[in-house]
Amino acid sequence: MEGETPLLDELEKGRWPSFVKEIKRAAKKNKAALDLLKVQELSYKDKITHWKHGGIVGVTGYGGGVIGRYCDQPEKFPEVAMFHTLRVNPPAGWFYKTDALRKICDIWEKYGSGMTNFHGSTGDIILLGTKTENLQPCFDELTEAGFDLGGSGSALRTISGCVGPARCEWAMIDTLDITYNLTMEFQDEIHRPRWPYKFKIKISGCPNDCVAAIARADFTVIGTWRDSIRIDQEAVRDYVEKGFDIESVVKKCPTEAISWDREKGVLNFVAEDCTRCMHCINKMPKALRPGLDRGATILVGGKAPIVKGAYLSWVIVPFMKMEPPYMEVKELLRKIWDWWDENGRTRERLAELIERLGLKQFLRDIGLPAVPQIVYRPRSNPYVFLRR
Amino acid sequence: MGEVTEELKKKILDYLKTVSKAKNKDVARAIGEEKHIVDKAIAELSKEGKVEYIYLGASFVKLKDST
Repeated sequence: MEGETPLLDELEKGRWPSFVKEIKRAAKKNKAALDLLKVQELSYKDKITHWKHGGIVGVTGYGGGVIGRYCDQPEKFPEVAMFHTLRVNPPAGWFYKTDALRKICDIWEKYGSGMTNFHGSTGDIILLGTKTENLQPCFDELTEAGFDLGGSGSALRTISGCVGPARCEWAMIDTLDITYNLTMEFQDEIHRPRWPYKFKIKISGCPNDCVAAIARADFTVIGTWRDSIRIDQEAVRDYVEKGFDIESVVKKCPTEAISWDREKGVLNFVAEDCTRCMHCINKMPKALRPGLDRGATILVGGKAPIVKGAYLSWVIVPFMKMEPPYMEVKELLRKIWDWWDENGRTRERLAELIERLGLKQFLRDIGLPAVPQIVYRPRSNPYVFLRR
Repeated sequence: MGEVTEELKKKILDYLKTVSKAKNKDVARAIGEEKHIVDKAIAELSKEGKVEYIYLGASFVKLKDST
């Protein structure tokens, strides 16, 4: 193997962990990993990919969860002639016990290349590289171990949410329970691709949006509060006395909902002007806390650029209570899916369809009232470049 | 959300006898029912082994014993 992959070997140099080093380690146990490196080396040399789609592969009863991959030079690299990926639905919040991880790894070393990607961008456990004949037995063992496949293709993709109340003081909603509950409710939608294109749901516990739901999901749930921020004026004064620049926080309030009365030593706050961006709370967590009447804001339309450009999600329901069994959000999802399925063109995401037919028609057909928090159209470019 | 009835299932099966395969939304349109109820009914019929899904880029449904 020494000297066989000179271009890739360059990627082992430097301070950072190297995927080349990891694949070389895997190659000691699995021949496919060695061929994988060679294909990659060839791609670097030829400046084109040597992977291709081809045929539909899967497991019994499922239309998704397996992504077929073939090498376009099977004679040269027989070990990776078929190199399919399995997407496995992770637990909500990505919490595992070590024995669960060992089980997955043991199964994958038995049936696949032994290489994994924790986690893919939608949050799935990605098992990289197996042959068609190994898919079904691998799936059978995974299900026996308590795992199931995630979504792929024109289906509901694996639902993901932040760690929420399990690890975070800012969680306004139980992101873990919502993720689990919606996953269980929409099993058919995950495993049976029948829509115009993919559909992603992501759930963030608060407006800090650690899972970047607003930029990545067709349907975004972000925890928020309906009442007023709670202010401990004594703690605010304590911040100021210790040299904290409160004016810098006040200046950055996007709606000028807060103001600092230096003479009285009071932070004034106009609740109805607050957009719940959480900037002031993040800056002064000992003095400011979110309100207690909690729920979620529902947004739609986030996506990465494929057919049209990237979109950021926009608000369609400013506040919705999020209590089990989450009937209101489920009903809304079903209405949106029916509308999109009925009107959408192939490979047209929800945001693109709304833009094509108009927000007015979307709201009318879904039965949602127009409210001031809804903007006319999605922002077309989430990449904001600031210039000095 | 409406309930799945035996009558609805029969309507779906009768329609599927007339086509080789169909998308759920086409079944719903053909029999004049709401799609989300048809989705649910087809899922039940699949579990009962009366219809099966086939995946050709998108999901289609067909009678289990038809070819």
